[in-house]
Amino acid sequence: MGSAAHILVVEDNPHVTGAMRLLLESAGHRVSLADGVASAVAVCRTDPPSLMLLDLTLPDGDGLDALAILRGAGDQVPMTVALTGDAGRDTRARCLAAGCVDVLLKPVPVRTLLVRVAALLDQRPPTGGFAAPPA
Amino acid sequence: MSPLHFSPPHDPSQLGALEAQHLEATRMIAEMKARDVLKTQFLANISHDLRTPLTAIITHAEILRDGLLGELNERQHESISGIIGGGRQLLEMVGEILTYARGAANQLTLKLTEFSLDDVLEQIRAMNESLIAKHALTLEVDIPGNAPPLVADREKIAHVLGNLIGNAIEFTPHEGRVWVRASVVQAGNERDLLVEVGDSGIGIAPENHELVFQEFAQVDASAARRHHGTGLGLTISRKLVELHGGRIWLESQLGSGCRFYFTVPYRAA
Repeated sequence: MGSAAHILVVEDNPHVTGAMRLLLESAGHRVSLADGVASAVAVCRTDPPSLMLLDLTLPDGDGLDALAILRGAGDQVPMTVALTGDAGRDTRARCLAAGCVDVLLKPVPVRTLLVRVAALLDQRPPTGGFAAPPA
Repeated sequence: MSPLHFSPPHDPSQLGALEAQHLEATRMIAEMKARDVLKTQFLANISHDLRTPLTAIITHAEILRDGLLGELNERQHESISGIIGGGRQLLEMVGEILTYARGAANQLTLKLTEFSLDDVLEQIRAMNESLIAKHALTLEVDIPGNAPPLVADREKIAHVLGNLIGNAIEFTPHEGRVWVRASVVQAGNERDLLVEVGDSGIGIAPENHELVFQEFAQVDASAARRHHGTGLGLTISRKLVELHGGRIWLESQLGSGCRFYFTVPYRAA
Protein backbone atom coordinates (compact mmCIF):
# COMPACT_ATOMS: atom_id res chain seq x y z
CA MET A 1 0.00 0.00 0.00
CA GLY A 2 1.39 3.39 -1.07
CA SER A 3 3.83 5.31 1.09
CA ALA A 4 3.09 8.64 2.75
CA ALA A 5 2.70 11.47 0.27
CA HIS A 6 1.57 15.06 -0.07
CA ILE A 7 -2.04 15.16 -1.29
CA LEU A 8 -3.94 18.27 -2.29
CA VAL A 9 -7.72 18.18 -1.81
CA VAL A 10 -9.55 20.78 -3.89
CA GLU A 11 -13.14 21.21 -2.67
CA ASP A 12 -15.10 24.18 -1.41
CA ASN A 13 -17.32 22.49 1.15
CA PRO A 14 -15.53 22.54 4.54
CA HIS A 15 -17.44 19.50 5.79
CA VAL A 16 -16.23 17.46 2.85
CA THR A 17 -12.63 18.70 3.12
CA GLY A 18 -12.72 17.97 6.86
CA ALA A 19 -13.67 14.37 6.14
CA MET A 20 -11.06 14.00 3.38
CA ARG A 21 -8.33 15.43 5.60
CA LEU A 22 -9.18 13.02 8.43
CA LEU A 23 -9.30 10.09 6.04
CA LEU A 24 -6.05 10.79 4.21
CA GLU A 25 -4.15 11.81 7.35
CA SER A 26 -5.28 8.58 9.03
CA ALA A 27 -3.51 6.78 6.17
CA GLY A 28 -0.33 8.74 6.98
CA HIS A 29 -0.45 11.33 4.18
CA ARG A 30 0.24 15.06 4.44
CA VAL A 31 -2.86 16.94 3.28
CA SER A 32 -3.22 20.44 1.82
CA LEU A 33 -6.60 22.00 1.14
CA ALA A 34 -7.70 24.45 -1.55
CA ASP A 35 -11.23 25.83 -1.88
CA GLY A 36 -11.07 27.01 -5.48
CA VAL A 37 -9.23 27.00 -8.79
CA ALA A 38 -6.91 29.90 -7.90
CA SER A 39 -5.88 28.50 -4.53
CA ALA A 40 -5.36 25.03 -6.07
CA VAL A 41 -3.02 26.51 -8.69
CA ALA A 42 -1.17 28.42 -5.94
CA VAL A 43 -0.58 25.26 -3.86
CA CYS A 44 0.57 23.30 -6.95
CA ARG A 45 3.19 26.00 -7.62
CA THR A 46 4.49 26.54 -4.09
CA ASP A 47 4.22 23.03 -2.63
CA PRO A 48 3.63 20.57 -5.50
CA PRO A 49 1.54 17.60 -4.35
CA SER A 50 2.07 14.00 -5.47
CA LEU A 51 -1.66 13.70 -6.00
CA MET A 52 -4.53 16.14 -6.40
CA LEU A 53 -8.13 15.15 -5.62
CA LEU A 54 -10.15 17.65 -7.59
CA ASP A 55 -13.80 18.63 -7.27
CA LEU A 56 -15.27 19.95 -10.50
CA THR A 57 -17.75 22.55 -9.26
CA LEU A 58 -15.79 25.31 -7.55
CA PRO A 59 -16.82 28.87 -6.66
CA ASP A 60 -14.30 30.47 -9.03
CA GLY A 61 -14.65 28.07 -11.94
CA ASP A 62 -14.52 24.53 -13.27
CA GLY A 63 -12.00 22.39 -11.37
CA LEU A 64 -10.46 21.26 -14.65
CA ASP A 65 -9.45 24.89 -15.31
CA ALA A 66 -6.71 24.39 -12.71
CA LEU A 67 -5.06 21.77 -14.93
CA ALA A 68 -5.30 24.01 -18.00
CA ILE A 69 -3.82 27.00 -16.14
CA LEU A 70 -0.85 24.99 -14.83
CA ARG A 71 -0.22 23.38 -18.21
CA GLY A 72 -0.55 26.71 -20.03
CA ALA A 73 2.06 28.31 -17.75
CA GLY A 74 4.45 25.39 -18.21
CA ASP A 75 4.11 24.37 -14.54
CA GLN A 76 4.22 20.77 -13.39
CA VAL A 77 0.72 19.26 -13.38
CA PRO A 78 0.17 16.84 -10.49
CA MET A 79 -1.38 13.43 -10.97
CA THR A 80 -5.07 14.26 -10.63
CA VAL A 81 -8.20 12.32 -9.74
CA ALA A 82 -11.51 14.09 -10.37
CA LEU A 83 -14.24 13.68 -7.76
CA THR A 84 -17.70 14.40 -9.06
CA GLY A 85 -21.33 13.95 -8.18
CA ASP A 86 -22.21 13.45 -11.84
CA ALA A 87 -22.07 9.84 -12.99
CA GLY A 88 -22.53 10.77 -16.66
CA ARG A 89 -20.08 9.44 -19.21
CA ASP A 90 -19.72 12.93 -20.73
CA THR A 91 -18.27 14.19 -17.46
CA ARG A 92 -15.93 11.21 -17.26
CA ALA A 93 -14.72 11.73 -20.82
CA ARG A 94 -14.21 15.46 -20.19
CA CYS A 95 -12.10 14.76 -17.08
CA LEU A 96 -9.94 12.15 -18.81
CA ALA A 97 -9.45 14.45 -21.81
CA ALA A 98 -8.32 17.22 -19.44
CA GLY A 99 -5.60 14.90 -18.09
CA CYS A 100 -7.17 13.30 -15.00
CA VAL A 101 -5.97 9.74 -14.38
CA ASP A 102 -9.29 8.67 -12.89
CA VAL A 103 -12.80 9.94 -12.15
CA LEU A 104 -14.58 8.85 -8.97
CA LEU A 105 -18.21 9.34 -8.08
CA LYS A 106 -18.87 11.13 -4.78
CA PRO A 107 -19.26 9.98 -2.12
CA VAL A 108 -16.48 7.49 -2.78
CA PRO A 109 -16.59 4.71 -0.17
CA VAL A 110 -13.59 5.44 2.07
CA ARG A 111 -11.99 2.01 1.58
CA THR A 112 -12.24 2.38 -2.19
CA LEU A 113 -10.68 5.84 -2.07
CA LEU A 114 -7.78 4.73 0.14
CA VAL A 115 -7.04 1.72 -2.06
CA ARG A 116 -7.21 3.83 -5.24
CA VAL A 117 -4.98 6.56 -3.76
CA ALA A 118 -2.43 3.97 -2.60
CA ALA A 119 -2.39 2.29 -6.02
CA LEU A 120 -1.89 5.61 -7.83
CA LEU A 121 0.87 6.72 -5.48
CA ASP A 122 2.66 3.42 -6.08
CA GLN A 123 2.63 4.15 -9.82
CA ARG A 124 4.01 7.66 -9.61
CA PRO A 125 7.28 8.27 -11.41
CA PRO A 126 10.39 8.71 -9.22
CA THR A 127 10.53 12.46 -9.98
CA GLY A 128 7.37 13.02 -8.02
CA GLY A 129 5.25 14.81 -10.60
CA PHE A 130 2.97 13.02 -13.02
CA ALA A 131 4.48 12.66 -16.45
CA ALA A 132 2.47 12.22 -19.61
CA PRO A 133 2.11 8.55 -20.55
CA PRO A 134 4.75 7.39 -23.05
CA ALA A 135 3.63 7.61 -26.67
CA MET B 1 -50.08 38.07 -37.80
CA SER B 2 -52.99 35.95 -36.62
CA PRO B 3 -54.35 33.23 -38.91
CA LEU B 4 -57.74 34.94 -38.43
CA HIS B 5 -56.44 37.62 -40.75
CA PHE B 6 -57.19 35.40 -43.75
CA SER B 7 -60.88 34.82 -42.97
CA PRO B 8 -62.22 38.11 -41.63
CA PRO B 9 -65.57 37.88 -39.84
CA HIS B 10 -68.28 40.33 -40.83
CA ASP B 11 -67.99 42.30 -37.61
CA PRO B 12 -64.54 43.96 -37.28
CA SER B 13 -64.96 44.50 -33.50
CA GLN B 14 -65.34 40.71 -33.03
CA LEU B 15 -62.06 40.16 -34.82
CA GLY B 16 -60.29 42.56 -32.44
CA ALA B 17 -61.63 40.73 -29.37
CA LEU B 18 -60.62 37.31 -30.74
CA GLU B 19 -57.13 38.52 -31.56
CA ALA B 20 -56.74 39.96 -28.08
CA GLN B 21 -57.84 36.66 -26.53
CA HIS B 22 -55.48 34.73 -28.76
CA LEU B 23 -52.56 36.99 -27.80
CA GLU B 24 -53.39 36.70 -24.11
CA ALA B 25 -53.55 32.88 -24.32
CA THR B 26 -50.23 32.76 -26.19
CA ARG B 27 -48.62 35.00 -23.57
CA MET B 28 -49.93 32.82 -20.73
CA ILE B 29 -48.66 29.61 -22.34
CA ALA B 30 -45.23 31.15 -22.81
CA GLU B 31 -45.18 32.29 -19.19
CA MET B 32 -46.21 28.86 -17.90
CA LYS B 33 -43.56 27.16 -20.03
CA ALA B 34 -40.91 29.56 -18.69
CA ARG B 35 -41.99 28.83 -15.10
CA ASP B 36 -41.88 25.10 -15.76
CA VAL B 37 -38.32 25.40 -17.08
CA LEU B 38 -37.35 27.39 -13.96
CA LYS B 39 -38.95 24.82 -11.66
CA THR B 40 -37.16 21.95 -13.38
CA GLN B 41 -33.84 23.80 -13.29
CA PHE B 42 -34.37 24.48 -9.59
CA LEU B 43 -35.00 20.77 -8.95
CA ALA B 44 -31.84 19.83 -10.85
CA ASN B 45 -29.74 22.43 -9.00
CA ILE B 46 -31.03 21.64 -5.54
CA SER B 47 -30.60 17.90 -5.96
CA HIS B 48 -27.03 18.47 -7.13
CA ASP B 49 -26.32 20.70 -4.13
CA LEU B 50 -27.89 18.23 -1.69
CA ARG B 51 -25.25 15.67 -2.63
CA THR B 52 -22.35 17.70 -1.21
CA PRO B 53 -23.32 17.79 2.49
CA LEU B 54 -24.45 14.17 2.15
CA THR B 55 -20.98 13.30 0.90
CA ALA B 56 -19.51 14.87 4.04
CA ILE B 57 -21.89 12.98 6.35
CA ILE B 58 -21.32 9.61 4.70
CA THR B 59 -17.55 9.99 4.43
CA HIS B 60 -17.19 11.05 8.10
CA ALA B 61 -19.37 8.14 9.19
CA GLU B 62 -17.41 5.63 7.08
CA ILE B 63 -14.13 6.85 8.57
CA LEU B 64 -15.50 6.09 12.02
CA ARG B 65 -17.13 2.79 11.02
CA ASP B 66 -13.97 1.47 9.42
CA GLY B 67 -12.00 2.12 12.60
CA LEU B 68 -9.64 4.60 10.95
CA LEU B 69 -9.78 6.78 14.08
CA GLY B 70 -9.84 3.89 16.56
CA GLU B 71 -11.78 0.68 17.04
CA LEU B 72 -15.51 0.85 17.84
CA ASN B 73 -17.50 -1.49 20.00
CA GLU B 74 -20.33 -3.47 18.41
CA ARG B 75 -23.12 -1.03 19.32
CA GLN B 76 -21.15 1.99 18.14
CA HIS B 77 -20.49 0.16 14.87
CA GLU B 78 -24.19 -0.59 14.48
CA SER B 79 -25.14 3.03 15.14
CA ILE B 80 -22.64 4.42 12.64
CA SER B 81 -23.78 1.84 10.07
CA GLY B 82 -27.30 3.23 10.52
CA ILE B 83 -26.07 6.74 9.64
CA ILE B 84 -24.35 5.40 6.52
CA GLY B 85 -27.39 3.33 5.48
CA GLY B 86 -29.74 6.29 5.89
CA GLY B 87 -27.31 8.60 4.10
CA ARG B 88 -26.92 6.27 1.12
CA GLN B 89 -30.69 5.84 0.90
CA LEU B 90 -31.15 9.62 0.88
CA LEU B 91 -28.46 9.90 -1.77
CA GLU B 92 -30.32 7.45 -3.99
CA MET B 93 -33.51 9.47 -3.64
CA VAL B 94 -31.70 12.71 -4.47
CA GLY B 95 -30.26 10.99 -7.54
CA GLU B 96 -33.76 9.94 -8.55
CA ILE B 97 -35.07 13.51 -8.27
CA LEU B 98 -32.15 14.68 -10.41
CA THR B 99 -32.94 12.06 -13.07
CA TYR B 100 -36.61 13.07 -12.98
CA ALA B 101 -35.74 16.78 -13.36
CA ARG B 102 -33.45 16.01 -16.29
CA GLY B 103 -36.13 13.85 -17.88
CA ALA B 104 -38.74 16.58 -17.46
CA ALA B 105 -36.37 19.08 -19.08
CA ASN B 106 -35.61 16.62 -21.91
CA GLN B 107 -31.95 16.65 -20.89
CA LEU B 108 -31.61 12.86 -20.85
CA THR B 109 -29.68 11.30 -23.71
CA LEU B 110 -29.00 7.66 -24.56
CA LYS B 111 -25.48 6.27 -24.37
CA LEU B 112 -25.81 3.08 -26.41
CA THR B 113 -23.62 0.05 -25.76
CA GLU B 114 -24.07 -3.66 -26.34
CA PHE B 115 -24.73 -5.71 -23.23
CA SER B 116 -26.55 -8.77 -21.99
CA LEU B 117 -29.57 -8.55 -19.73
CA ASP B 118 -28.23 -11.42 -17.60
CA ASP B 119 -25.33 -9.30 -16.31
CA VAL B 120 -27.64 -6.43 -15.39
CA LEU B 121 -30.02 -8.81 -13.60
CA GLU B 122 -27.18 -10.45 -11.70
CA GLN B 123 -26.14 -7.02 -10.39
CA ILE B 124 -29.69 -6.20 -9.31
CA ARG B 125 -30.10 -9.57 -7.64
CA ALA B 126 -26.89 -9.01 -5.67
CA MET B 127 -28.08 -5.55 -4.59
CA ASN B 128 -31.40 -6.94 -3.32
CA GLU B 129 -30.06 -10.17 -1.82
CA SER B 130 -30.48 -9.18 1.82
CA LEU B 131 -34.08 -7.96 1.29
CA ILE B 132 -35.02 -11.12 -0.61
CA ALA B 133 -33.60 -13.26 2.22
CA LYS B 134 -35.23 -11.12 4.90
CA HIS B 135 -38.69 -11.58 3.38
CA ALA B 136 -38.01 -15.21 2.38
CA LEU B 137 -38.96 -14.39 -1.23
CA THR B 138 -37.99 -16.37 -4.30
CA LEU B 139 -36.65 -14.44 -7.29
CA GLU B 140 -36.90 -16.46 -10.51
CA VAL B 141 -35.15 -15.28 -13.65
CA ASP B 142 -35.98 -16.78 -17.03
CA ILE B 143 -34.08 -15.24 -19.92
CA PRO B 144 -33.82 -17.33 -23.10
CA GLY B 145 -30.22 -18.31 -23.72
CA ASN B 146 -30.54 -17.46 -27.40
CA ALA B 147 -31.75 -13.86 -26.88
CA PRO B 148 -29.37 -11.56 -28.78
CA PRO B 149 -27.56 -8.90 -26.71
CA LEU B 150 -29.28 -5.52 -26.42
CA VAL B 151 -27.95 -2.30 -27.86
CA ALA B 152 -29.29 0.22 -25.38
CA ASP B 153 -28.28 2.53 -22.54
CA ARG B 154 -27.15 0.00 -19.94
CA GLU B 155 -27.41 2.35 -16.95
CA LYS B 156 -30.96 3.37 -17.88
CA ILE B 157 -32.19 -0.17 -18.52
CA ALA B 158 -30.62 -1.19 -15.18
CA HIS B 159 -32.47 1.73 -13.55
CA VAL B 160 -35.82 0.55 -14.96
CA LEU B 161 -35.25 -3.10 -13.99
CA GLY B 162 -33.92 -2.13 -10.55
CA ASN B 163 -36.99 -0.01 -9.97
CA LEU B 164 -39.49 -2.66 -11.08
CA ILE B 165 -37.78 -5.45 -9.16
CA GLY B 166 -37.40 -3.20 -6.10
CA ASN B 167 -41.14 -2.42 -6.17
CA ALA B 168 -41.99 -6.10 -6.61
CA ILE B 169 -39.89 -7.03 -3.58
CA GLU B 170 -41.31 -4.17 -1.53
CA PHE B 171 -44.96 -5.00 -2.22
CA THR B 172 -44.77 -8.80 -1.95
CA PRO B 173 -45.52 -10.38 1.42
CA HIS B 174 -43.36 -12.92 3.22
CA GLU B 175 -42.52 -16.09 1.25
CA GLY B 176 -43.94 -14.63 -1.97
CA ARG B 177 -42.60 -14.91 -5.51
CA VAL B 178 -40.96 -12.36 -7.77
CA TRP B 179 -40.00 -13.25 -11.33
CA VAL B 180 -38.31 -11.72 -14.35
CA ARG B 181 -38.94 -13.18 -17.81
CA ALA B 182 -37.74 -11.96 -21.15
CA SER B 183 -38.60 -12.95 -24.69
CA VAL B 184 -37.97 -11.69 -28.19
CA VAL B 185 -41.16 -10.60 -29.95
CA GLN B 186 -41.77 -9.58 -33.53
CA ALA B 187 -43.41 -6.16 -33.92
CA GLY B 188 -44.04 -5.63 -37.64
CA ASN B 189 -40.62 -5.60 -39.29
CA GLU B 190 -38.89 -4.89 -35.99
CA ARG B 191 -37.95 -7.12 -33.10
CA ASP B 192 -38.42 -6.08 -29.49
CA LEU B 193 -37.13 -7.51 -26.28
CA LEU B 194 -40.17 -7.93 -24.02
CA VAL B 195 -39.38 -8.01 -20.31
CA GLU B 196 -41.88 -9.02 -17.63
CA VAL B 197 -41.36 -8.31 -13.93
CA GLY B 198 -44.05 -10.07 -11.91
CA ASP B 199 -44.85 -10.66 -8.28
CA SER B 200 -47.39 -12.49 -6.12
CA GLY B 201 -47.96 -9.37 -4.03
CA ILE B 202 -50.88 -7.09 -3.17
CA GLY B 203 -51.67 -6.09 -6.76
CA ILE B 204 -53.03 -2.83 -8.17
CA ALA B 205 -56.68 -2.16 -9.04
CA PRO B 206 -57.20 -1.49 -12.78
CA GLU B 207 -58.45 2.08 -12.16
CA ASN B 208 -55.02 2.88 -10.69
CA HIS B 209 -52.92 1.44 -13.51
CA GLU B 210 -52.33 4.81 -15.14
CA LEU B 211 -51.97 6.62 -11.81
CA VAL B 212 -48.88 4.65 -10.77
CA PHE B 213 -46.93 6.14 -13.68
CA GLN B 214 -47.77 9.71 -12.69
CA GLU B 215 -45.19 11.68 -10.75
CA PHE B 216 -45.47 11.80 -6.96
CA ALA B 217 -48.44 9.41 -7.04
CA GLN B 218 -48.81 6.45 -4.72
CA VAL B 219 -51.96 4.43 -4.81
CA ASP B 220 -52.84 4.78 -1.15
CA ALA B 221 -51.41 6.64 1.78
CA SER B 222 -50.73 3.53 3.83
CA ALA B 223 -48.61 2.14 1.00
CA ALA B 224 -46.79 5.47 0.85
CA ARG B 225 -45.94 5.17 4.54
CA ARG B 226 -44.55 1.65 4.17
CA HIS B 227 -42.93 2.26 0.82
CA HIS B 228 -40.40 5.01 1.42
CA GLY B 229 -39.35 6.73 -1.75
CA THR B 230 -39.78 9.73 -3.97
CA GLY B 231 -42.86 8.39 -5.75
CA LEU B 232 -40.95 9.05 -8.97
CA GLY B 233 -39.68 5.55 -9.73
CA LEU B 234 -42.30 4.52 -12.29
CA THR B 235 -42.51 8.00 -13.85
CA ILE B 236 -38.77 7.84 -14.47
CA SER B 237 -38.98 4.23 -15.68
CA ARG B 238 -41.61 5.20 -18.25
CA LYS B 239 -39.47 8.13 -19.40
CA LEU B 240 -36.39 5.91 -19.76
CA VAL B 241 -38.26 3.16 -21.64
CA GLU B 242 -39.90 5.68 -24.00
CA LEU B 243 -36.51 7.32 -24.57
CA HIS B 244 -35.46 3.94 -26.03
CA GLY B 245 -38.57 3.85 -28.23
CA GLY B 246 -40.20 1.16 -26.07
CA ARG B 247 -43.43 0.88 -24.07
CA ILE B 248 -44.19 0.12 -20.42
CA TRP B 249 -47.48 -1.09 -18.94
CA LEU B 250 -48.90 -3.36 -16.29
CA GLU B 251 -51.47 -6.09 -15.81
CA SER B 252 -52.88 -6.56 -12.35
CA GLN B 253 -55.96 -7.05 -10.19
CA LEU B 254 -56.13 -6.09 -6.54
CA GLY B 255 -54.98 -9.06 -4.47
CA SER B 256 -53.65 -11.11 -7.36
CA GLY B 257 -50.13 -9.86 -7.87
CA CYS B 258 -48.76 -7.57 -10.50
CA ARG B 259 -47.01 -7.97 -13.85
CA PHE B 260 -45.13 -5.02 -15.30
CA TYR B 261 -44.04 -5.28 -18.93
CA PHE B 262 -41.68 -3.16 -20.97
CA THR B 263 -40.21 -3.43 -24.44
CA VAL B 264 -36.87 -2.33 -25.81
CA PRO B 265 -36.53 -2.31 -29.61
CA TYR B 266 -33.55 -4.22 -31.01
CA ARG B 267 -31.32 -1.95 -32.99
CA ALA B 268 -28.05 -2.38 -34.83
CA ALA B 269 -24.87 -1.89 -32.79
